[in-house]
Amino acid sequence: MARLDIQNLVKRYGDFHAVKDVSLSVADGEFVVLLGPSGCGKTTTLRMVAGFIEPTAGQVRLGDGDVTLLPPWRRNTGMVFQSYALFPHLTVAQNVAFGLEMRKVPKADMEKRVEEALALVRLSGYGARLPRQLSGGQQQRVALARALAIRPDVLLLDEPLSNLDAKLRQEVRVEIRELQRQLGLTTVMVTHDQEEALTMADRLVVMNEGTVHQVGSQRDLYERPADRFVAGFVGRTTFLAGTVESAGRFRTEGGLGLAVAGGTPGKAALSLRPERIEIAPAPLPGLDNDLPGTVEFVSYLGAQIDIHVRLSPADRLVVQVANRADGFSPEVGQQVHVGWRASAGQVFGE
Amino acid sequence: MSDTALGPAPSLPPPSDGGGARRAEGVGRSKALTATTLLAPATIFVAAGLLAPLAILFRYSLNEFVARTKTMVEALTIQNYITFFTDPYYTAALGTTIRVAVTVTVACLIVGFPLAYVVARTQSRFKHLLIIAIVLPLFVGNSVRAAGWMVVFGNKGFFNTTMMSLGLIDRPIEIMFTEKAVIIGIIAVNLPFMVLSLQSVIESIDRAVEEAAFSLGAPPLTMFRRVLWPLALPGVLAGTILTFILAMNAYATPFLLGGPLFKMMAPVIYNEFTQKTNWPFGAAIAFILMAVTLSLTLAANVLLHRRAAR
Repeated sequence: MARLDIQNLVKRYGDFHAVKDVSLSVADGEFVVLLGPSGCGKTTTLRMVAGFIEPTAGQVRLGDGDVTLLPPWRRNTGMVFQSYALFPHLTVAQNVAFGLEMRKVPKADMEKRVEEALALVRLSGYGARLPRQLSGGQQQRVALARALAIRPDVLLLDEPLSNLDAKLRQEVRVEIRELQRQLGLTTVMVTHDQEEALTMADRLVVMNEGTVHQVGSQRDLYERPADRFVAGFVGRTTFLAGTVESAGRFRTEGGLGLAVAGGTPGKAALSLRPERIEIAPAPLPGLDNDLPGTVEFVSYLGAQIDIHVRLSPADRLVVQVANRADGFSPEVGQQVHVGWRASAGQVFGE
Repeated sequence: MSDTALGPAPSLPPPSDGGGARRAEGVGRSKALTATTLLAPATIFVAAGLLAPLAILFRYSLNEFVARTKTMVEALTIQNYITFFTDPYYTAALGTTIRVAVTVTVACLIVGFPLAYVVARTQSRFKHLLIIAIVLPLFVGNSVRAAGWMVVFGNKGFFNTTMMSLGLIDRPIEIMFTEKAVIIGIIAVNLPFMVLSLQSVIESIDRAVEEAAFSLGAPPLTMFRRVLWPLALPGVLAGTILTFILAMNAYATPFLLGGPLFKMMAPVIYNEFTQKTNWPFGAAIAFILMAVTLSLTLAANVLLHRRAAR
């Protein structure tokens, strides 16, 4: 395993900038997830690391070597594809052995390493099967074993879980993460699924429109989003449009005056996480903001309840409450009060 | 006068209705009925239009021919077949036909694979135009095309005059009325069949499989040999079978581009029927051509499958 350094990577297709100046360092043994909506450049970045796409500018370094100009077969990267891309005409063992054959590993060694790789993904005894005789989850594990067998410098995962059903996905997440820790694999994963990203990563990279918006831990991204895009993309939030009148004072488009933390005067959006807002049938003294409103919509999600509250003709807020036995659960049309501390919201200037 | 008329199609067994048998009888029966209804028209057409004439022709091939009166006499002899294999004129025609067909097929495969690959993998919006461009030559009839080739290949044709005026050659290259002309002509006719067969199969191969091979350390040629070729094999088989059968049975191209002295099987058969009115012998040659084509096709099939299984 080795560290991976991406420096000022750029990919242009004609006038279209797929990736604009992306820099990122992944430490030896670190699990980094590139997260973003489709078309944000995360897959292009990963494919430039794998060598399938030649960057327009910038550098990819793997360990001590510059691999920017090397073709994929001369880089030592293990890739797991979204479609798994198993060789359908080869058995599971032949699939796993493929990379070892290319490296001219002696036959006796090869069998041992294939066995080891299959044991790692708990598929010992499946070597003689063909990929089509396996379930989706098993195929995914063969793809992982095949990538690991070559002992790659870096493991690249391209939406590896998106073809699995929801229940299996949760299991495989944990499994990949444990394997990655146990083997100390330097890993870069691409996904658009934020829950997947949050549960697996050591560090996350949020991308949009070809640029990196923020790099940080789960807590960093959620509690201290760098900009409006990150706030909206990671976790759920309600944006209230309006203006910062002076530091600490925010007026919504609907005319509500709110206390906020900081902010520079000008047009801005206030981001409020649904679970940081309190809701009650009566006024909420002691909070910086306390506003009356009407419940417009309630969605019952089991453990939580989402309540959409109308504060003014232009302002609506989502409040999430835990579904406790003694909890407050309003009905549609009911008059309620919502409140939050100034520090609970975050202001993003425009 | 068409090269594209397929000879005897390799007959496939009708798709078996395996699942239906185990289900409720009523469903099974109505399913069987639907299958019958769907299969009937084509089956009847093939039986009446192909099998019956073939059976009659086969019977003719066992008859005798009286050269003096130019009439067919009812008999039961294999003399026609013996004559074919003992007369060097005819065995040479068979040899030429096989040589030309194999050359054409191999050439179509070598030229067609890269083309099919590019068409299959292109992301271009103009992909459909590419495919039309490949099929376009088939819009021109074989005779018309062959006439065009004659203009190009002749000693005072386009090719030779251009080459000579450029000073690249000082004497015309003999192409017209040689095997070269026939091979080039048939390649031009058959290439689209090869490309389309390959393209549809290559398109169904996940691009990521190629990338997986690359990322595991396989350079392009190794990737081709170990991954792309084995996976494209069904298309290779379909394309080579189609091309080979078409080349074996080619009529217009060898007739027009090969000239009177160049002998391939289809023109020879035509000649026996029309010029010599020797129906029994013509029928025998037709069956020999069919048998040779089928057995070579099968042999190639087995060979390719065995190599792929390794």
